[in-house]
Amino acid sequence: MDKEKLEQFIRLLQKTCKQPSQTFDLGLIVKEPKSEVDSKDIFEKIKNKVDSERIIYDKLTTDEDIIEKIIELFEKNKWLFLEIKKDISSPLLNQLKHLANHNVLQLLDYQGKDLSEIKMPENCRIIIFAERDFIENKITYPHFYRLFGPTLSIK
Amino acid sequence: MPEKFETIRFKSPEELKEEEIEAKIKERGPEGEILGGIIFEEEIDPETQEKKKYLYFGNPYKERPVIIKLETEANKEEIEAIKKEIIPMEESFEILEAMARTYKHRQPLLIEGPTAIGKTYLTEKFTEMLYGDGVKPLDFYCSGQTDVSELMAKWVPKVETEEDKRKWNEFLESAQAQIEISKIAQEVEQKEKLSQEQKLVLIHSRLQELAKSIGLSERTQWRFQYGAVPKAMGLTRNPNGTFSFDEQKGMGFILHIEEVGLAEPQVINALLKLRGKRGRLAEEIQLWEDGGKKVKSGPKCWVVFSTNPPEEYLARNEVDPALARGVVFKRMGELSGVSLRLASNYYFTYKLGEKPKEKPEGCILDIYNYPEIGREISKVVSVFHNDLNKELKKGEKGRQQRIPLTLDDMARVADALVDEQIRDKKTGQFDLTESLKNLINFYYLDRLADEELKETMIANLDELLTGDTGKIEFEGKVLTRKEIFDILVERASTIKTKEKLEAEKKREEERKLKQIKYDSQDKIDSLSKNPRIPESIKKFLASE
Repeated sequence: MDKEKLEQFIRLLQKTCKQPSQTFDLGLIVKEPKSEVDSKDIFEKIKNKVDSERIIYDKLTTDEDIIEKIIELFEKNKWLFLEIKKDISSPLLNQLKHLANHNVLQLLDYQGKDLSEIKMPENCRIIIFAERDFIENKITYPHFYRLFGPTLSIK
Repeated sequence: MPEKFETIRFKSPEELKEEEIEAKIKERGPEGEILGGIIFEEEIDPETQEKKKYLYFGNPYKERPVIIKLETEANKEEIEAIKKEIIPMEESFEILEAMARTYKHRQPLLIEGPTAIGKTYLTEKFTEMLYGDGVKPLDFYCSGQTDVSELMAKWVPKVETEEDKRKWNEFLESAQAQIEISKIAQEVEQKEKLSQEQKLVLIHSRLQELAKSIGLSERTQWRFQYGAVPKAMGLTRNPNGTFSFDEQKGMGFILHIEEVGLAEPQVINALLKLRGKRGRLAEEIQLWEDGGKKVKSGPKCWVVFSTNPPEEYLARNEVDPALARGVVFKRMGELSGVSLRLASNYYFTYKLGEKPKEKPEGCILDIYNYPEIGREISKVVSVFHNDLNKELKKGEKGRQQRIPLTLDDMARVADALVDEQIRDKKTGQFDLTESLKNLINFYYLDRLADEELKETMIANLDELLTGDTGKIEFEGKVLTRKEIFDILVERASTIKTKEKLEAEKKREEERKLKQIKYDSQDKIDSLSKNPRIPESIKKFLASE
């Protein structure tokens, strides 16, 4: 794994906010087919740089669980390393799109409010980790790559 | 011979006002830049005699723009700030004009246009212009997995345990769920003679049966939840910025349904409920989930759909014909070369946001203060962006998804270029060519799955920056872009050095003056303590 590239990835994710909306990007790390790097190792390297937590999105987790976890990490000003192991369902996809476009979660009927928005704090970021084959063959959303700014390919 | 007289026509106050607004809409700056397009005015409402705030929208690129007037909750300062965040491309005004026109007449709008045309961004800005800075529309994104219940309404079981939660979620993700819920819907809709209460009893008993069949308790409690469509119909934005919902008396709000081209037929069928009379939005919709209860559409409810053209993505379908007939369909083409260059120019001359007050860490040269450098960078980036985009639209080897570029890619490079600068080891100055190459590599090329395409684009970028084919005339000489960058950076750095020296000189003079003042004060103090100095002189010195 190219250490310099990973550092640049974290650095640019941390500080670049786009004109004119002044929104921060979501980051994507793609593990290429021949790579033997483990997602845990990548996460540990990120964790050494920024305060972050790793969550796995698989059959045992629901979209609501992940959304709750995102809110919790926002409160703690932490980064989220989200490893995708199943196709992203509509509720989570909706929130990822909100985060990518506006840096907010937009929730209906949350905590007794008809419509609430939870802003992503300046110190929080979301990194999605997935394998290339998985993205190409299992993710059905055709604009998946477009959710992200910096993309790091792990060879 | 009688003389010919020209007919003199007096213009009505309305006509004069129209002319005044049209002139403001078409206003341009000294360099021909668009200043109009969106005009804020405060006027007295002739009916209520109240002072109200209005916006006038018009396409300033048109000789005779159609002008649309809408009431707004935003103030003048907010509108001016929002206007500054919109790149004045012709396509942007075309979209805003369509939005204003359909909003005024409560007609649903569908914008079909390629990535980067600004569909999402302009919907957000349009909402802000009507409601105030920072107010976002209610956004709903369609995908192949979108469930009708997310749009309309659903019953959610109040499950206590993780196990029950898992069972219910697994059921919802199964194909069986759609079939079972459709069966309940059909049964409820067919029992026309039942009252709403009776229908609700029927729904509950069917839901309990369903819960039992998947292993949940027979006594499961259920909670009713509205989806995005009824919510947008009945939401009211309160003066304190919060939202409240009333299914009968709500004012309504803006709903943006994105990527509608990805929606499955059952989702489209649900969306067709939004079609009203004479091409307008439906006045109300009926929800079987709520026993056939009707939700009224408030006067400020408006729906805008957006989608990419079908040729852009492999998985995308044509917009459903029935939906297309029920909306105002606005088809946008590719962003023109002129608009792409304009956008690039805005990004690299940093016109869109606030410039840093202090030089950030990692910044060797404050390029945001040198628009002449930004203009040259923008020429290179817009050419590169355009070339790569053409290739990406053909598709990449090793990737099923096509990922056309967006203007965000350009914006990212521009923003990172402020503080991700590489120093030229020979001159000690900012190496613009290397810095730009590094960021283009990171944001545009590192994500490519097609290694061959990546190599080609790296070579193209090199040629554009340092090769003969990239040469252009600059101040009477034909130079490579790198040579032009070097000249401009050298000039800016020299100016910087001169400015620095002058500032240093000024600080030194101020320091000397201060020293003289302190020395004089010391002398005065010592004289004041000297017994041989007469008191009258001491008093004089103290007063000075």
